[in-house]
Amino acid sequence: MKLNKLFKSAGLVGSLALGSVLSAVAPAAMADQEYLLTVTRPNQLHVIDMETNKVARTCDIPGDFGSGIMSVHPDGTHVFILGHNWEDVYGFDIRTCEVTFHAAQSTPTLQVKSYQSLAVSADGKELYTVQNPTRKHRDRFEVLEPRLAVFNIADGMGAEPVRTFPVDRRITKIVATETGEVVLGGADLKAINPQTGETRIVTKLANWERGPQWLPPDAFAMHSQGNQSNEYIMPYSTAKFTDDTMNFETAEWWWGMARVDLETGKVERREIFPFEFIIFNFVSDPRNNDILYGSFNTLSKHDISQQKTLAVKEMPHTYYTINISGDGETLYVGGTSSDISIHDSETLDKIGSIQLTGDMSTADMRVATIKD
Amino acid sequence: MALSNNNSKRAVLGTGVLALAGLASMPLHAQDAEQIIKDRCLACHTVSGDAEAPSFSRISQQRKTPEGWLMTLNRMTHLRGLELAAGEKRALVQYLSDTQGLAPEEAAPYRYLLEQDTNRVESGIEPALAETCSRCHSAARFSLQRRTEQEWKYLVDFHMGQFPTTELHSLARDREWYKIASTETAAELGQRFPLITQEWNNWQQAVKTDLMGRWRITGFVPGKGEFDAWMSAVKTSDNHYDVTLDGHYADGTLLSGAGKATVYTGYEWRASLTIDGVKMRQVMAADKKANRLEGRMFLAAEREIGGEVSGVRDQNMAALVAVQPSYLRAGESAELTLIGQYLKGDIDLGEGVVVEKILSRADDRITLIAKATGSEGLRTPRVGTAADNAGLAVYSELARVEVLPANAVSRIGGAGGKMEKVRAAYRAVGYSAGADGKPGTDDDLRLGYMPASWSIKPADEVAAHDKDEQYAGSINAAGIFTPGDAGPNPERKMSANNVGRLTVVATVADSSAKVEGEGSMLVSVPDFVRRVLD
Repeated sequence: MKLNKLFKSAGLVGSLALGSVLSAVAPAAMADQEYLLTVTRPNQLHVIDMETNKVARTCDIPGDFGSGIMSVHPDGTHVFILGHNWEDVYGFDIRTCEVTFHAAQSTPTLQVKSYQSLAVSADGKELYTVQNPTRKHRDRFEVLEPRLAVFNIADGMGAEPVRTFPVDRRITKIVATETGEVVLGGADLKAINPQTGETRIVTKLANWERGPQWLPPDAFAMHSQGNQSNEYIMPYSTAKFTDDTMNFETAEWWWGMARVDLETGKVERREIFPFEFIIFNFVSDPRNNDILYGSFNTLSKHDISQQKTLAVKEMPHTYYTINISGDGETLYVGGTSSDISIHDSETLDKIGSIQLTGDMSTADMRVATIKD
Repeated sequence: MALSNNNSKRAVLGTGVLALAGLASMPLHAQDAEQIIKDRCLACHTVSGDAEAPSFSRISQQRKTPEGWLMTLNRMTHLRGLELAAGEKRALVQYLSDTQGLAPEEAAPYRYLLEQDTNRVESGIEPALAETCSRCHSAARFSLQRRTEQEWKYLVDFHMGQFPTTELHSLARDREWYKIASTETAAELGQRFPLITQEWNNWQQAVKTDLMGRWRITGFVPGKGEFDAWMSAVKTSDNHYDVTLDGHYADGTLLSGAGKATVYTGYEWRASLTIDGVKMRQVMAADKKANRLEGRMFLAAEREIGGEVSGVRDQNMAALVAVQPSYLRAGESAELTLIGQYLKGDIDLGEGVVVEKILSRADDRITLIAKATGSEGLRTPRVGTAADNAGLAVYSELARVEVLPANAVSRIGGAGGKMEKVRAAYRAVGYSAGADGKPGTDDDLRLGYMPASWSIKPADEVAAHDKDEQYAGSINAAGIFTPGDAGPNPERKMSANNVGRLTVVATVADSSAKVEGEGSMLVSVPDFVRRVLD
């Protein structure tokens, strides 16, 4: 792999001469090859080599755009994308752009949407979505109960759910743990056993019992970016009141999070630092998970062990999402528009940029690591 | 399959009947409209009940305004594949709003939405409905509908099917939104806005008078000013009128226009007129005796730019409709115009108000110079037997200026984009302090609309820092605010659009003093969805 890397670096000399930016971004020699994956309008998957920060290949996604949320296969070679107006799942071999999996969740009389809920099991065999079905009668809609749908990835094209289990409404992002559960990000954080459908509360959010001095949290997130730290973060905002009168004027406003360790399925729920500006997505530093980075109109760095914001950088436009290299040195800030802004995680200084052919809008930005 | 066969047969028959009706210009009968429903809607809707009184699923369980039914037909056309000829669409809006409309009392509290007068903050909305419904819609939007509880529930389900992320919005994801909306909210709406009401039963049985005749009209057009006119409505067929309008603006400029009007539900007047080359719309409601019309007239291309309009029918009786302006400063001589019809006899402007000189006098319009003395208060001007009950306000000092609308939204646009700018039109209303000498209290005397000079300033420190007053737009001498161009502006922080938060200031001269009033303007982004009713 090291040799391989050297060759790649040699090939880069030309572009390096054009700008020192890339040398600063190119990670130190690593055993694994990382690719940054994202989706842009009109409907393309981009596979970006994180050594060179160049688009290695662009794959056309069938159907319409949306939402572009992804789940990467544990071996890093395949990615599953929620597309076609939040209805279909497409699987791609990122090395070839081959479409290897397709599940159309809707039928002419049943509209099925998944709100960002897409996950691949830790063993790489199963794929999960939360389906929100609506029956289309001739003159009315009928709202049906949501369900966890389990697909066999090996079923490939035309895959149908092999099992379904009822789940709560309002579930957004989900993730599979190494303990064999699927974490369901809804009003409260729950986990479901995808073999039996048995659920348990991981931690309560909307229904937490912290008394009248804590505002029930607004817990909502569009993207799951914890794969570099093997974790799942559901951020929330809340207010701590000075007394029982719920006075918003004197309240302390806090960011908090429920964070699940995907190895153990254990959760921590805590306030992490004062709410001073909007953050759309968080990612933690793989070297020290007390360090969090956030993006929206700002790029920010936080030490949650001290409940402190360490640095804030104004951004030239809104970036919905953020991810980080496996070595923790480089931040990729993207989503919304058509450029990915690359930053040094130490200083938050901008060290590069990747221009894409269309807007990322709501799409994810995930890292696929192909091991040596 | 049987249904499809029936449909195709009916379609052929239906088209024939309609074409004949159009050629002969015959009034539309209920059977014709029902036939259109049977021909065009039964691919999806079902019919039950007897042939004399058929009940159509999802249709017969609702009552709406003409605009409400138009929206429904638009939605069916755009989203559900309905195909309707223009004449069929007109016929259905007429039929549905005549037979499943709102009674005058039911529509009255929410007429502002029908009149497209949407620069206002609604008040008095039930908090649960505000959180569930009017976090996105105006409260008037759903308050102008009547449905069975089951129909309200189907409407909730429609939202979930058509806009699936509804339950994930802020103020939805923090609660069991679908459960609340489909049970508690649907029940609440079914109670407050039920299908069957005494008001509607009464109105259906009431004798409706047509609106043919001559109407004495007063109103206001932004950029032009107050006007008075005669409007003539000539009935061409049931519910349809040819309309002409002729009169003067307050500055003496002549006004002339013509167009067509349709009356729905027996009292909802909707007219399209071209006035001095500009296309305008009138949305008015007739009172139950059909002697008065009240509403708003606005630019067809820009519904935000408009003003009040009202009419009094010519019944061969004296009527004093308005005094323009509606105020007179004590001790000063000023010109007043008395507007009405059959204005014969002595002019009496009320206690202490002296007519110094009559400049012109006709039976429908008297211009004079008057001077007031005596205490502040409303006088009741009279000409012969006719009295203006709105009154003439005699005042000593202008104490307060109210800017209307107090809260407005405009939208950036133009600059090659798909959406035009959405402007806003302002007026200033003057008040004297009243008996307690304190402005802003209940006894303030409303003097009426006053001429003002207009300016803008940033709404607060943040807006000042962002230089909103430089980028977000400008206001002209007539009080019309024009927002900035659409699109990212590299000069602004984060290349923000020319959005902003402004304070609109009206300065009114009162003798040697100047009195200011302020309104709030939010210059927002384009709204790419154009709704018939917001």
